[in-house]
This record gives sequence, C-alpha cells and structure tokens, in this order.
Amino acid sequence: MKLLSLSEQLGLVSYRNQAKSEIKPHIVVDTDICNSTCPHKCTTYVCPANCYTKDENGKVHFQVEDCIECGTCMYACDQGAVSWEFPDPEIGRGVTWNYG
Amino acid sequence: MDEKFDCIIVGAGVAGLSAAMTLARANMKFLLIEKGEFPGSKNVSGGVLWGNDLAKLVPNYWEEDTGWDRFINHRRLTFLDEESSFSIDFKSSHFNEPPYTGVVVLRSKFDRWLAEKVEEAIAESDFAMDSFIAPNILVEEVLMENGKAVGIRTGDEKFFTDSIIIAEGVNNLLTRQVGLQDKYVPADHMLTGVKEIIRFDQSILEDRFQLNGKSGMSNEFVGFATNGIEGGGFLYTNKDTISLGLVLGLKDLREKEQAPYNVLNHFKKHPVIADMIRGGEVVEYSAHIVSSGDKRVMPEKLYKAGLVICGEAANLLMNAGKAIQGMDYAMRSGILAAEAITNAKENNDFGEEAMKAYQTALEDSYIMKDINNFQDAVHLLHDPVMTQKVPNLICDFGRNFFSIKNEPTPKSRTMLRGAIKRHASYWELLKLGIKGGKAL
Repeated sequence: MKLLSLSEQLGLVSYRNQAKSEIKPHIVVDTDICNSTCPHKCTTYVCPANCYTKDENGKVHFQVEDCIECGTCMYACDQGAVSWEFPDPEIGRGVTWNYG
Repeated sequence: MDEKFDCIIVGAGVAGLSAAMTLARANMKFLLIEKGEFPGSKNVSGGVLWGNDLAKLVPNYWEEDTGWDRFINHRRLTFLDEESSFSIDFKSSHFNEPPYTGVVVLRSKFDRWLAEKVEEAIAESDFAMDSFIAPNILVEEVLMENGKAVGIRTGDEKFFTDSIIIAEGVNNLLTRQVGLQDKYVPADHMLTGVKEIIRFDQSILEDRFQLNGKSGMSNEFVGFATNGIEGGGFLYTNKDTISLGLVLGLKDLREKEQAPYNVLNHFKKHPVIADMIRGGEVVEYSAHIVSSGDKRVMPEKLYKAGLVICGEAANLLMNAGKAIQGMDYAMRSGILAAEAITNAKENNDFGEEAMKAYQTALEDSYIMKDINNFQDAVHLLHDPVMTQKVPNLICDFGRNFFSIKNEPTPKSRTMLRGAIKRHASYWELLKLGIKGGKAL
C-alpha cells in the first residue's frame, strides 16, 4: 500500500468555513518567543498537521488553516508561545470529522 | 430560553451524551451544548468502547445496524521488531452474544447516533419542549457567582442553570478556567494519537481478519511500531474500514525530534502491517491528544459548587496493558455526574457538598478503583525497557524458536538466554519483572 504524504493526508480532512476567505484564527502563536529564546522549536515537528514550519533561516512560522484541533502544541510548547482556543463555529476554522 | 435550566452540559461526546441520557430519563430540564456542527463531528478515538454500560443507556442497541461498527470477540497483543511479530492472541465465541463487552465505534457516526437516542429520551420526558441539544455553540466562559457556577457565556449570550457538567474533552479549557486544572499542562504525561481510517471492500476485510457478521478484532502493538518513542499502536476493524494508529508520548516525541505522521508511516511500512493493509484506501487522517492514566496530572478535585467535571476533561483514561479504556470511563462518569445532579435537584441543593457526591461515587466505581490499582502498570508500560527492549527480545526468541534448521536444536532456555543477552540485561528484566509482578 502506497504511503501518503502529509499533504495527501490533510487533503482528506473536512474543514469548516472553508469557503470563507477571512477566518478568525483560534490559535495565536507569539513566534518572537520561538525565534528568540526557545531551545527546541518542537512544534515544527510534533504538530500532526505541520502548522508550524521553519524557513531556510530557521525562523518559525505558524498557519492555522491546516489545524485539526488535536491540542498537541498546547502541551508541547513549554515556552508560553501558544495561546490555544477552540475555533468559533461561525468565523473560525477547525475540523468536521467524517469518521472520527 | 430565558428560563433557568436544571443542568447545562458542555460537550456532546460520550460523557456529555451519557449524562444527557441519564438526565432525560430522570425528567430533568437540561441544555447540552456542542461546539461542532453535530455531536461527534469534532471527536476522535481509537476506538473501542469497552464494557456493557452502553446496553444500560440504549437497551438492545445491537438490534440496530447503525451507530456502532463491530463487537470484539478477538483480541491480540503484538510485539514487533524490525522484521517480525510475536502475538498473544485470544478469540472466543464466548464473546459472540450480546450484551457485548466491547464494540468498535467511529465517533462521528457513533456520537451522532447516541445523540438521536438522547433526543428520543428528551421527547419522552416531561421537558420534551424545554430540554435541548444545541450544536454549533462554543462555550467561552463558565459564569461564577460567589464561588458557585451559575451559567455559561457564549459570545454575548448567557444561559443560566442550577448546575453544569463539563464534558469538554481532554483539551479542557473550561476546567482550567474554573481553576480545577493548571493553566498550563506539560507534555510529560500526555500522548499524541494519530490515526488513519483505511477502507477495504467489506468481503476482503472480513476474509483478511476472519470476521463473521458483526464480529471484530482489536490488535495492540508494542515495539517497532513507535520507532523508539514511548507508546504503542492499534488496529481495530470497523464495518468496512480499519482504524490504524499510534499513541506517542509527547515528551518523548519532543526529545527525539520526531513527527507523528512520519512515525505512522514507519509503522505502516513494517512487513507484517503492510500485509494487513494491502489494497486499502486511506479515507481519513486524524490526530488528537490523549491522557495517559497517570494520576500525577489528573485534576484532583472534580467539582465546585454547581459544577462537576467528567470524561477526558477529568483525564479519565487508562491503558494498563489490557485495553485502552477511555470511552467507557466517559460513559460511566457521565452517568454518575447526572445521578449526582438529579439527587441535588431532589434536595434542592447544588452546593459543593452535593457535587462532591459525584466524586465520591466515582471513587467507589470501577473507574477510580482501577486507576488507583494499576498506576504501577501505567508506569511500567511507559518504561523504555518495556516498549523497546522486551519486544526485540521476544521477537528474537521467536525467530530462533520457530527456525527449523536440520541441525541439532538448542533447548528453549538456551535460546531465551541468548535473546536476553542480545537485547537487555538480566538486571533490567529482573527490575521489570518485580515491577510487573507488583503492577498486575
């Protein structure tokens, strides 16, 4: 069986309010902390949806669009950079599982 | 809805729905709030619902073909090294008759179905027009007055109630807000679960896993599956899909700098797993945090005046080696919460003592008895000797034991000694054996 890449896996996820261009992010990341004092930048690999990425200069960036609300970053970040809420049903993103 | 409710339940997962069912049957007026589009739409589990409390909530549920996927009559625990698997396998027709002692469920389907059953119970109650399941609403705040929970706020809207059942799941923001859990919960005793739903032609699935009618199999894995990360793997057979996934210690993932989706693909590449999933089509990828059953991080107090916490919001989950139990704990704790609140209503006292009765009932139930009794087993299962060295040792022994070479065969104990020498020390195993003897 062919193994899926993460983008193929995420392509199977149903997101809410996908048609809306303006959404309210339910997670806010203070990447200044990631890029100054954080010794591990662990969210860039432990996030199951790879919402946290490192650019070629090693700088951490965050995007909320692929978030599947698992909660991993809220526990993994021990630097106080992640403010985690649930998405607003009307103007937020987040998932609707087909199987769950 | 300006009138006050007897109870507001936050979260339509297994705990919240079980509480709602119990309240409806006790003729209580309640509001069950769910942030997702429908009950179950944001819920993820492995998952097997163990035990037979479901039969109490929905009598004769097995007569329906909807909601649940398969009953378990086949259990398997598999140790993996790089190329081998060594399993403890138990299958019995003893488990074929309802009420079943374990059913495989997919939460988006199961919770939605259970919510329909709750709607039916509401319709038969005295508050058919006044109790509601309300999806698409996010509770942002628990309203407190003089130390007692009095209602909830969503946006600018407020709803008032005599009592609140928080069943919001493991990412328990409201539990933290009311001060029953620390604001920051560290990664130490949490795990990240990742899972794929893989679809097959139903007859292929049934032939491959030797399923008959609605029978199903649960298979847990230790060793190679997690690529050196503390944790384990699972495979459960659904109707025409399997749930294949891993639970990975989050602290260990962080320290070993691994991505969960890469570990999942590592698991799928194992030759034994590859044979199991051949020809399947992945139809969903999901992930969710799960607690470990380690008491050190569980909220100690699960109540306040007018408020109780149940299910994964209270970190009621445990894997002591026999099964990963979470949904059954959610179900029973939801029922116990609703019973405590029904009693409180009868006595017209929702104060702290009345809510404490819930935690007392929980302590007296199998949930806290098991969690208290099996703490050593929880620690043992997260011991790296257990998750790495033991599976390698067992598979090494298996490879020698089952090799027929047309040459003189050494005694098994000689083979075992060799395997131990190659993978661990007697000292490590002795320590593990003592721990294990105590734990089980």
